[in-house]
Amino acid sequence: MKNLFSGLTMKEVKLALIIAVTFFLVLPLFITEGWISLVIEILILSLAATGLNLMLGYAGMVSFGPAGFYAVGAYTTALVLMKTKLPFVLAFVSGPILTALLAVCIGWFCVRLTHVYFALLTLAFSQIIFTIIHGWYSFTKGDDGIVGVPIPDFLSSIYNFYYFNLIIIAGCTWFLWRIIKSPFGKTLQAIRENPQRALSVGINVHRYQLATFVLSGLFLGVAGTLFCTFSKNVFPNYAHWLKSTEMLVVCLLGGINVFWGPFVGSFIYQFLDNFISGYTLYWPLVLGTTIILLLLFLRGGIAGYVANRISLKQKTNKQVN
Amino acid sequence: MTLPGVIIQLLCGMSTAMGIFLIAVGLSLIFGTLRILNLAHGVLYMLGAYLCYWITSVLLPNIGGSFWWSLLLGPITVAIFGGVVEVLLLRRIYNREHLDQYLLTFALVLIVSDLIKFAWGVDFHPVPIPPVLNGAFFFMGLPFPKYNIFLICCGIFTFIGLRYMIYSTKLGKIIRAMLHSRDMTSALGINVPFVFTVVFMLGCWLAGLGGALIVPTISASPGMDMNVLIESFVIVVIGGLGSLSGAFLGAIIYGLVNAFGILIAPRLAVAFIYIIMIVVLIIRPWGLMGEPEK
Repeated sequence: MKNLFSGLTMKEVKLALIIAVTFFLVLPLFITEGWISLVIEILILSLAATGLNLMLGYAGMVSFGPAGFYAVGAYTTALVLMKTKLPFVLAFVSGPILTALLAVCIGWFCVRLTHVYFALLTLAFSQIIFTIIHGWYSFTKGDDGIVGVPIPDFLSSIYNFYYFNLIIIAGCTWFLWRIIKSPFGKTLQAIRENPQRALSVGINVHRYQLATFVLSGLFLGVAGTLFCTFSKNVFPNYAHWLKSTEMLVVCLLGGINVFWGPFVGSFIYQFLDNFISGYTLYWPLVLGTTIILLLLFLRGGIAGYVANRISLKQKTNKQVN
Repeated sequence: MTLPGVIIQLLCGMSTAMGIFLIAVGLSLIFGTLRILNLAHGVLYMLGAYLCYWITSVLLPNIGGSFWWSLLLGPITVAIFGGVVEVLLLRRIYNREHLDQYLLTFALVLIVSDLIKFAWGVDFHPVPIPPVLNGAFFFMGLPFPKYNIFLICCGIFTFIGLRYMIYSTKLGKIIRAMLHSRDMTSALGINVPFVFTVVFMLGCWLAGLGGALIVPTISASPGMDMNVLIESFVIVVIGGLGSLSGAFLGAIIYGLVNAFGILIAPRLAVAFIYIIMIVVLIIRPWGLMGEPEK
């Protein structure tokens, strides 16, 4: 399978990382506040999609309900901040932790099913989360959402938030990258390729899948919490299946077999959303057509295509030498 | 609660159930035969509803019985549209993973709902109930709309018709054979792609019919497809993916749980059906009436 930078040497990887980090560090100096908030949204969506992709691309578990976890993260932080006097750090941490705990319970049932049944069960659970958020008016404010979550002053400035967001997302991405490169990550890929064979060499497939489910939920929770802190509002449609599908589209757009695929996907998705919405009301039409064209003519997504080209080039170079 | 009240509530549940059955059964047929989770099913239902509005109010507003014409023409148009989509797009992705199919049909949702918005705008478009069916019956003193009785009858007749088709015609035999083993059916000389197109068009026709029948009780409006789609999914999963009787049973469970759940917990009534879906998926993933995959 193709992996991140599979065709590149360690030196080139480090160079690419340094360039990326410097780029994001100095970026706010050159762009307006509107663009900074767009970059923040891109990064948060990337984290959510990368978390989802751990399940989707690496473990081969197609989930239709990632938005449920995203919303639980966002709502937990919002509710803790609104209803209690706990410090911000605790509220921030409680989102992902609760999401992970919930993912343990939900995942325990889900990993016992395979293929389409797994996907449908995740969809059902996320719809339950949606219904509860939507229907439990006295606790979650239902349809109205929670508006004006009290965020500490130091994060109210968009520049401060940008760096705060960047640190968290860089940390999470690094962690995800380590997971994928670890023996655990390799085992996941083995399970994806052939679950029966993985089982027969002594891998506890369910336990691995559950761990992936929980990790994926954790990162979706972090993304939800970050978005809540950023926008200071939370709405029930964070848990809607359309949000889940948006994340799936982002993964596909970028390419699910490449680690940085969701980042590319998120960038293109948000950018197109902002750019095309400025010109026409019919942005879904453009998005739908793009998805169809991608599915039919560019399998493996944009990042997948680029990664393929790079490794092809490396191979031909080697042959020439 | 009094007995007449319970009966009225039961009838309410049944009319919701039969309306959504028409959509769910198409979804189930398409999944069973083509192995595709068709997210675009909701949008086809919406297309049927809008076509019904268009035919009754724009195309043939002055002809007596324009509603009946719309029932005839609307679903057929939806079926033809579905056929074109199947031949041009879906055919290319049958061998792909579920995720690709999910996303392709999702792209269709985006495109078709935008085209509908383009053609008919974002206003609510009411469709009048035909005069014959306007008014109410009285059950022990409590009124119940005639039109909802008509909906219940339509659902039951469709079920009987489909059962006849599946169990007593050649096409039905082929569909059942394909549910069992697609490769073997193909090896026996059945033109599988052609049957796929026919089944997909049949599913679309049912979705269009559902749209045209339900639209007089609500109004044609953007976004009407979203809830219906997810509800049909729930029904199909509870009944069993690909099972005709399962869709019927699932729809009835759905309708009744909704009708009586609202009396118990109005705001969380929707959650009950998802809980049933989860329980079914955990205990019998293949659904109440479905068969386990081999």
